Amino acid sequence: MRESPLQEKLAAAGAVFRERHGARVVSHFGDVRAECGAVRDAAALADFSFVRVFTLPETPGLDLLDALVAGNVPKIRFGRVLHTFLADQNGLLAADCFVANNDQEFVFICESILPDAELDALLAFGGKEPPAKDLTPGHAVLSLDGFKSWEIAKHIFGADIIGLPYLSIENYQFEGEPVRFIRAGKTSEFGYLLIAPVKIAAPLFDTLKAGVEERGGRLVGADAHDALRLEGRFFNIFREGERVRDPLPLGLQWMIDLEKENFSGGAAIKARRAAGLKRKVIGLAAEANCATLQSGAQIFHEGRSVGEVVTAGVSYVLNQPLALGLLPLELAFSGLPFRVGTPDGAVARSISMPPIMPRSLTVKLDEM
Amino acid sequence: MSEQFNQTIARRRQVIDTFKQELIRRLNLAYVPEDLHEDVSLLGSGLGLDSLDALEIVLCVETCFKIKIPDENISVLRSINTVVDFVIEQQDAKGGPA
Repeated sequence: MRESPLQEKLAAAGAVFRERHGARVVSHFGDVRAECGAVRDAAALADFSFVRVFTLPETPGLDLLDALVAGNVPKIRFGRVLHTFLADQNGLLAADCFVANNDQEFVFICESILPDAELDALLAFGGKEPPAKDLTPGHAVLSLDGFKSWEIAKHIFGADIIGLPYLSIENYQFEGEPVRFIRAGKTSEFGYLLIAPVKIAAPLFDTLKAGVEERGGRLVGADAHDALRLEGRFFNIFREGERVRDPLPLGLQWMIDLEKENFSGGAAIKARRAAGLKRKVIGLAAEANCATLQSGAQIFHEGRSVGEVVTAGVSYVLNQPLALGLLPLELAFSGLPFRVGTPDGAVARSISMPPIMPRSLTVKLDEM
Repeated sequence: MSEQFNQTIARRRQVIDTFKQELIRRLNLAYVPEDLHEDVSLLGSGLGLDSLDALEIVLCVETCFKIKIPDENISVLRSINTVVDFVIEQQDAKGGPA
């Protein structure tokens, strides 16, 4: 099983671990509610070394990546990041990806639901002289998120980070070593991914952790990130992505360049699109004491099963259970009552997502 | 399905269809309405629209539904669904759809 270079530090800080697709990830540090609160109100640091990171030279990286991912790689401007996905040959989701155009290289980041060997086979970057460099073994990836996270990034790397738009990449130095710095959070608050060589992973972790704690924040795990992604309606490949696999009912058409001729799984996805969408996911919310709004639960309407819950969690902002349900198109509208679990089970209402207004949207960094 | 259930769907569908078609036309998006999930984020992630596009959305709502989105109410622009919620709320406050 793949482990983070920060494994010992995380364990010493009280991390509870679990396995996710061949990688050991931090579930939590004991209090998921407080961890979510840290992101919403202050700042939080998470180890994201479970992601796979590759770099490719501009040539042939541009063509190689464009033939793989659903988005349009040649359209990525210098210094910007494309959020897209990688599908298998059947057009089923394999990885949620960022592709960054970074100064004569492309940085390719995958949150994958495939074992490493299967992802490697799908990417087919191998060969005698592989064009891609797998940074995963020699680097740590840290996610700095939260309403005040920009203050910490500014303190360490300078005021330039304030001008970075969402989905952009910049290169900084920390203790003389390069750090690839990407503004790309998935919590709906300010968020940054930092890719750092193992050599400086520990001191960078300590510096970020100190900055987070000075601002009333804390270390957080994947459970909190899962809850925040649901609350902010960010796609989560480890939850609804893994359960549904088809990008179209998940509403991921925005990640696809539909005019692009070829990409991995493209023919299958386009065929399903041409056949017409039959179902799609929609947000659901239940009363605070509802225990049946769980992943896998059946959704009922007028006594008959019409769909299923594909991910569930709790919104700590709203203090109520939230979920995504997969429903037939004709019922996939917000504002409707359904039953979950059994035909006369608890009521869950379909809702508009995201149901919260993140604090970070009220701040204009370039005016700070 | 109950009458109220059907009415809720029909009304919402009408607002969604009108808004999506106008959004695609104004912003020249390379999608058909069925490609746009109603929860897709309009700004930042998702469709990744910028502040000029946001202004187009405000004008779009004003033109299609005769409803103004106040400058300070950017939370309305989180997704297509949140825009539709706002339109329906405002229509109700005015006594029903125009």
